[in-house]
Amino acid sequence: RWLRFRCKVCLTLTGQRAGPCGQAPNCRFYSGSATVPKVERANVTGIEEVVIPRKKTWDKVAVLQALASTVNRDTTAAPYAFQDDPYLIPTSSLESRSFLLAKKSGENAAKYIINSHPKYFQKDIAEPHIPCLMPEYFEPQIEDISEAALRERIKLKKVKASVDMFDQLLQAGTTVSLETSNSLLDLLCYYGDKEPSTDNHFQQSEKSEELEEAAEENNEKPKKANHQFGNLWRPENNAERIFALMPEKNSHSYCTMIRGMVKHRALVQALNLYTELLNNKLHADVYTFNALIEATALSAHEKPEDKWNNILELLKQMAAQKVKPNLQTFNTILKCLRRFHAFGKVPALQTFREMKAIGIEPSLATYHYLIQLFYHHENHSKGSSLIIYDIMNELTGRKFSPRDPDDDMFFQSAMRVCSFLRDLELAYQVHGLLNTGDNWKFIGPDHRRNFYYSKFFSLLCLMEQIDVTLKWYKDLIPSVFFPRSQTLIDLLQALDVANRLEVIPQIWKDSKEYGHTFRSDLKEEILMLMARDQHPPELQVAFANCAADIKSTYESQDGRQAAPEWPANSLNSIAVLFLRAGRTQEA
Amino acid sequence: MFPRVSAILPLRPLSRFPLCSGGSEAAIVLLGAPHGTVRTKNNVQRNFGTNSVNYSKKDEQSAPTHGISKETESQESVKENTKKDLLDIIKGMKIELSTVNVQTTKPSSRRQRKSVEATIGSLQKTLEDAPKKRTKSVSPELEAAASAVADFLRFDKQTTKSELLRQLQQHEEVSKTQKDGERTKISVSNIISDMKVAKSATGRVSTRPVHQIQFDEGTDSLMGQKTDDLKKSLRKNMLKGKRLNIFYLKTVTEEAPKTETAPSLWDVEFAKQLAMVNEQPLQNGFAEMIQWTKEGKLWEFPIDNEAGFDDDGSEFHEHVFLDKHLKDFPKQGPIRHFMELVTCGLSKNPYLSVKQKIEHIEWFRNYFNEKQDILKESGIRLN
Repeated sequence: RWLRFRCKVCLTLTGQRAGPCGQAPNCRFYSGSATVPKVERANVTGIEEVVIPRKKTWDKVAVLQALASTVNRDTTAAPYAFQDDPYLIPTSSLESRSFLLAKKSGENAAKYIINSHPKYFQKDIAEPHIPCLMPEYFEPQIEDISEAALRERIKLKKVKASVDMFDQLLQAGTTVSLETSNSLLDLLCYYGDKEPSTDNHFQQSEKSEELEEAAEENNEKPKKANHQFGNLWRPENNAERIFALMPEKNSHSYCTMIRGMVKHRALVQALNLYTELLNNKLHADVYTFNALIEATALSAHEKPEDKWNNILELLKQMAAQKVKPNLQTFNTILKCLRRFHAFGKVPALQTFREMKAIGIEPSLATYHYLIQLFYHHENHSKGSSLIIYDIMNELTGRKFSPRDPDDDMFFQSAMRVCSFLRDLELAYQVHGLLNTGDNWKFIGPDHRRNFYYSKFFSLLCLMEQIDVTLKWYKDLIPSVFFPRSQTLIDLLQALDVANRLEVIPQIWKDSKEYGHTFRSDLKEEILMLMARDQHPPELQVAFANCAADIKSTYESQDGRQAAPEWPANSLNSIAVLFLRAGRTQEA
Repeated sequence: MFPRVSAILPLRPLSRFPLCSGGSEAAIVLLGAPHGTVRTKNNVQRNFGTNSVNYSKKDEQSAPTHGISKETESQESVKENTKKDLLDIIKGMKIELSTVNVQTTKPSSRRQRKSVEATIGSLQKTLEDAPKKRTKSVSPELEAAASAVADFLRFDKQTTKSELLRQLQQHEEVSKTQKDGERTKISVSNIISDMKVAKSATGRVSTRPVHQIQFDEGTDSLMGQKTDDLKKSLRKNMLKGKRLNIFYLKTVTEEAPKTETAPSLWDVEFAKQLAMVNEQPLQNGFAEMIQWTKEGKLWEFPIDNEAGFDDDGSEFHEHVFLDKHLKDFPKQGPIRHFMELVTCGLSKNPYLSVKQKIEHIEWFRNYFNEKQDILKESGIRLN
């Protein structure tokens, strides 16, 4: 039968010329007469236009992405990143963080061992070859003193070695080309004359965040802020020395020096270097201008108005030099404006409108800075701005891609504002935006995600009907975040308002799982809620069981501490509950 | 670091108010909305819960209706009870006020407190003096209570008052019909939860001004039903207005001649930072497989057996038809036989590349050339 089919296919494909299978063999091979007229017709018409569609090329992960889009989150399971073993499923946010770190550090340890003993790992049995599993080479191979060796060391990001090589080259008398010197300057300026750190990015990003926030608070004390930044630009360090040694400097050299100085907080020198650049009639690029804007904003001992005027000056120079501003320019301006607090609101809006007028699409980080500026520290002095509603109106339904390193801070600040304004519908809007497309990836690292969901859930407890709240409770906890005891207390109070106290034993059981067994404020709350009112008998029994449980946790806690701490209220409540349930013995 | 909910903790020492019995749920619930803390709100709510307990004890003696619909009751005791409840609730309101004012440090709040106290005093007097009326409409005590609440909240008094009164009227009707029907137990709690639902609809409108007891003059008239207009007017403010006027669209969009330079270290590191923004732990097994495919550890779907295997671009006929490499060998004789067997074997060998097969044949050629003297002895010709 396959032969018959093939003939038919032949016939249709080679409509114009008489194919090898003529009409007669077809008749011979199949008996169904229904198909014969079709064949005849095809032959009669002769020319048949066959439109071969253009071949689709699929991405190599297309199949997997299609499959992945069919899978939704399982609310009863632990996140996929953890091993599905009862012992290895985390029960608190601390545990989940440490499990993930353990996994990552295991991978790093394995990679480290492979890379430090490459000769033991040479056997390659994978077909086709998998390059990323083979050991990498981190030691420079070229030993002689030459520019190629210098380039190699620069590529391997070995700061000290490249500086030494550069010095050796100069002593040997060979001139180093401008490009290589520029790339050496890049390396030095980016890493601030120290070796690149080998921490994994968890610790790095946290450190930089804490430093950033600490620096904001300490804005008035520049010295302290300087000490907190690990990597300061020391004067007369290697970068400056090499910069001075270079026979010819082009704009790239100046630019990279300025950027390095700003990155390591040598602000005055950066501005001086910029004037030197202008004196040499060179042009700065947009990144340098961004760095300079940051430098003017960070310089201490100036009033915000002066700083803003300086920034405007820089922008005018930028326009005069025909340098196109990019998204980072405006984001840097907004980031600096939020330090000016009240003064910064009007300029911020102006900047935002400018950005839109030029056609640069604002990113999530832009909106984050605006929110921070307008809702700074929840001050209640004047009326709260309503700008968040405009922002959400602009953003609903849009999908984002990362364009600024601060993009992942937007959702956290948006939810903070919603919680401050006690506006549940806005919170739903924000959550909806989070769930469109791939935006969920912008939720940020662990602590931000926990913060977002804690605020969201507290707002739900406060403002939403209890059934919906309980549904969200089942949905979010524990698969998305682990509640803090304050969150659980909020939930208990919401239950209290809605008079659904029968859920309390369930919540106590859940909170034991999340490690809140020894949180005394939570236990007091539970006991007090249970003991306050009379309830139908079966509920009393459940409450009494729960109270017995809590009592046993108090007792086991005694083993840990020297002096048992039994708050009087809890004792009261426990006694009352036992009495009501008829367990007078235990009372 | 982050303004967490725990920032409210310092307000914990506020003592709870043990006696406060329930009465006008509307007042309480609206008071629940103020910017005061969750704690304070829950104090109030908790007090209400206590009251529900007290109230249910009296269920057998009175018709099971909620506290507000007093005039539909015929029992004196209930009426007195509820009047007492209302008074207590207003007392509770007063205390609620003081706590709210404690948190917001504004001098005007003190003035407010005094005015509310005055109102409450007058309200109490009116309550004690007012005779009980049995009318279908909302009783004057309730009206007075509602206006006191509206005064306290100080925004859009008319709407608030009318809302409150409307709610109360609705409840009266509901309770009346239910009472006329069977004696269903309308527990106070259900009413509370209903009220809560209603509150969130109306509360949304009023939530924002509550945070600022001082109200902006400009938006005073706009609140209430005109939130949408307000939002629209603000949207105009955000998007339309003065800009910096430093850059111009024309000059910015003209493309400067781009010189192609290799991305510098700054660009590379910036790209890496951007990639880290979106990094999240994997959500399911397919995402993990996608990551492995991108790293090159996993075969690409749909599986192509010859992925990554090029075979130097040689075709099958170069593997199979190896006769042309036998040109240098004699055309007949045992050597030819042998070499034909060799080529037959090589053509069936899937593991060698074409070059390796040719090398095999070359090796044989060299070998036979070297062993020429032995061959001559055996009389085999090798030309």
